Order: sequence, then C-alpha cells, then structure tokens
Amino acid sequence: MHRLLRKVSGQPSRRKTTILLLMSVVFFMLPSGVLAQRKYSKNYPAGRIVRLELTNRSGTVTVEGWNRPEINITASLEAPSAIVQPQSLDDKIVINLIKDNAGRGDVGNVNFTIRVPYYTAVDIETRIGNLTVSNIRSTLVRAHISTEGDIVLTNIASVRVSGENLSGDIFFDGVLQTGGYYRFSSMQGNINIHIPVPSSFKLVATAPSTRAIDLGAFAGGEMRTVGDGRRIVGQSGDGLASMQVTNQKGTISFVRR
Amino acid sequence: MDTELDEPRAALVRAHLAECAGCAKTCEDLAEIVDVCKSGDPAEIVPPNSKAMWCRINNILESEIKPEPLPKIEDTRRRIWRFTLPQIAAAMLTIALVSSLVTVAAIRNYLTPAADDFTSRSAESQTMLERLMAKVGLGDTPQKARERRLAQQTAAIEYWNRRVQERKQQWDARMREAFDKNINLIDESVTEYTQILQTDPDDEITGEMLDSALDDKMSLLREFAEL
Repeated sequence: MHRLLRKVSGQPSRRKTTILLLMSVVFFMLPSGVLAQRKYSKNYPAGRIVRLELTNRSGTVTVEGWNRPEINITASLEAPSAIVQPQSLDDKIVINLIKDNAGRGDVGNVNFTIRVPYYTAVDIETRIGNLTVSNIRSTLVRAHISTEGDIVLTNIASVRVSGENLSGDIFFDGVLQTGGYYRFSSMQGNINIHIPVPSSFKLVATAPSTRAIDLGAFAGGEMRTVGDGRRIVGQSGDGLASMQVTNQKGTISFVRR
Repeated sequence: MDTELDEPRAALVRAHLAECAGCAKTCEDLAEIVDVCKSGDPAEIVPPNSKAMWCRINNILESEIKPEPLPKIEDTRRRIWRFTLPQIAAAMLTIALVSSLVTVAAIRNYLTPAADDFTSRSAESQTMLERLMAKVGLGDTPQKARERRLAQQTAAIEYWNRRVQERKQQWDARMREAFDKNINLIDESVTEYTQILQTDPDDEITGEMLDSALDDKMSLLREFAEL
C-alpha cells in the first residue's frame, strides 16, 4: 500500500521529466535553419512607384499583384542571414541582394513574398530558386533564373513578358496584348503556355533536341514546321503579338486557357 | 581736178589747199592717180609684184581687224549640262534606284538584331544584296560572321571564367554545385551543336542554338562572377 502510494505521488514529477526530455529531443532534432530563420517585413506607399526590381542570390520569390496602392515586402532569411536593404527610388523599388552582400561567400536563402499594385512592372531574377509572379497587368514582367528553378507566371496581361532559366519548368498563363513581345527560354525543362483561343500572335518555337512542340489548339492554319521538325514558325490570327519560345533539351506545349 | 565744181566753190577749195598742207598732199596724190589712169597704158597700171602687194594689203587688213574674242568657258559648261529629256529621265531613275537600295540596306541593318548578323544564318538565307556585298568585300559570309562572333564570345567567356575561378572558393557548396551542373549542361549543348555544324555548316537552326548557348554561358559566368 505504501509502495502504491509512493508510486502515485511520484507520477507528476516523472511526467514532468518525460515532457522535458521529449521537448529537448524535439528542440535538437529541428533543423538549425528553422531556428535561425529571421523575418523581414516592410511596407511602402505605392505613390509614384511603378516598377519593382529584385535580384536575389538564392531562395524563392513570389510576387503578387493586388488592387491596393501600397507595396508589402516580407522575407524569411535563413542563416547565415543576408543583408536586405530595399531602396525606394523615384519611381521604383530596388532590392539587390548581390550588391548588398558582395564579398560574402556564404549567405543563406532568402524567400520573398512581395505584393505590389497590379499595374507595377516586375523585373525579378535569382541565381538559384523558384520565381512566381501572378495577377500583373503592366508594361513588363521579367523572370530570370541564372541556373535552376521553376518559373510560374499566372494571370499575366503585360506587354512584355520574359521567362528564362537553364534547368526547370516555365509556366505562363495569361492574355497576349496587341503589340506585345513574349519570350520564354530554357535549356532543360518543360515550357507550358496557357493562352486563350483565339489569340493573335506570331510564333517562333524551337526545340532542337526533342522536337517536342505541341501547339494544341493553335496547330495547323498558318503554322509550319522547319528544320526537320525542330522549329515551328507561323502566325495565329492577325499576328498582333510576337512570341519566341526556345527549349534546347526540353518540350514546348500550348494549352487552351 | 575733174573740173566739176563751179567757179566760186573751186576758188574756195584752191584757197583751202593753199593753206592746208595735208589736203594739198592728198590732192597731189589723187591728181597723180588720175593722171596715170588717164594715160591708158595697162602695163604701167599693173604693179610689178602683185602677190607682194596683196600680201601687204592682207597684212594691213589683218593688223587693223580686231582679234575675235575667245569663246567663254561658261558657254562650254552650259553645253555640258545640256541633256535631252530621256537622259534626264534615265539619270533620275538611276538615282532613285540607288537611293532605294541604300535605304533598304540601311533599314535592314538597323532593324535586324545583332545576333542575326549572319552568325546564325546559312548561306541559303542570304539575299542577293548581301551576297553581292560579301563578294565585293563589304559584307561577311555567314561562316565568316559566325567565326567572328564565336571568337568574340570565346574571348568574353575566357575573361568571365577567370573572374569566376578567382571567386569560386568563397561560394557555399550549394552554389558551387548548381553552377557546375549548369555550366556542364551548357557545355554539352555547345559540343553537340559544334559537331553538327562541322558536318553541316549551313544548318541555320543549329548555328542559332550554338550562338544562344554561348550567350547563356557568358551570362551565367558574368552573373556568378558578381557573387
């Protein structure tokens, strides 16, 4: 009976010990990057700002257009933390992590989420990482990845659109503008273009290695194959926009939006 | 002399001849001529050397006649610019044709992107004007242009590669890995396209892809040299 009483009275302290042990195990099991992650957040009134220029080293970048006259920049910085110093210039915001961290060999990923007025020209690039841009109706959307990463451009209605990477997929979903110029280029990956039917554009699509060019609903008509199927050249509708798609070792597909 | 004047007038003439030596001499000369003519002997009238006399007369005449003014140069020039209507029309047509060709060539040069300046084009895609220019040494053949462009790209790649090698040790492992993987990917493509062009130098698409791959390599090196 005494033994039983001792057991019951000792239970809370044992439980505490167990919980503490478990917590310490979980603490040490967590990746160090998560613990060292820092947050950055800043808001700017849009005012006369009509352009966003971002150059990242590594990490993901997500830019979303919204119907508010302000710019919201948030970033999560992995250790060793990069220096992030956005510059609000006359008509644009410039964030250049290459310049801000010049000479620093080891810099952790920086993952950006930026919200801008939908009419903002967006020019973003990174050395490694994914780029996502959505809901933009402006003069320019440019997404450039120096090495590897996916590019996703959704609900875009800009006059000049460019997506370039070496390894990774490129996805474009949007509406082509009259007089617009659209360029998508990859060394290896899949390029998918979602545009409405009908759309008016001139096309030069080249896939020299795979010859895998699927025009979908835009096939036939004034489209013709050249160079043993390595390239398709032609026009859809009145050809009011120009599109150039090059995938050196991957595929190109057009899908009805 | 001929007794044709009435007496009062004859008296006035005699009075004048008595006073004026010049007129008196002239009168004497005339009187002698009249006398000779009246003698009626033709042998006396014919001069001993008629040719010599005519020569003298000619000389006197020539010396007295003013030399004709030389034709003015302006007149000659005016004559040069005198064209017929067909000549003018032909000249205008030639000028219009030449200026049109020059304008077309200038517009083509202006509008055509630099990457397309034969570097990625085959001989088949050359226009007549371009072929003509290449023949007279004013333009490049596609192969020459490609070689020239390739040399420029190679030089730039070497430069940026040196810069990258200086800094590469400072990068973290992930950055080095991504760089190496993608530079190898580009090099594979460059090798593949170069081999195709060795067997078929006129392959336009391959020429263009080689140019594009080398541009990609140059950009990658430049962008990583900044890190």
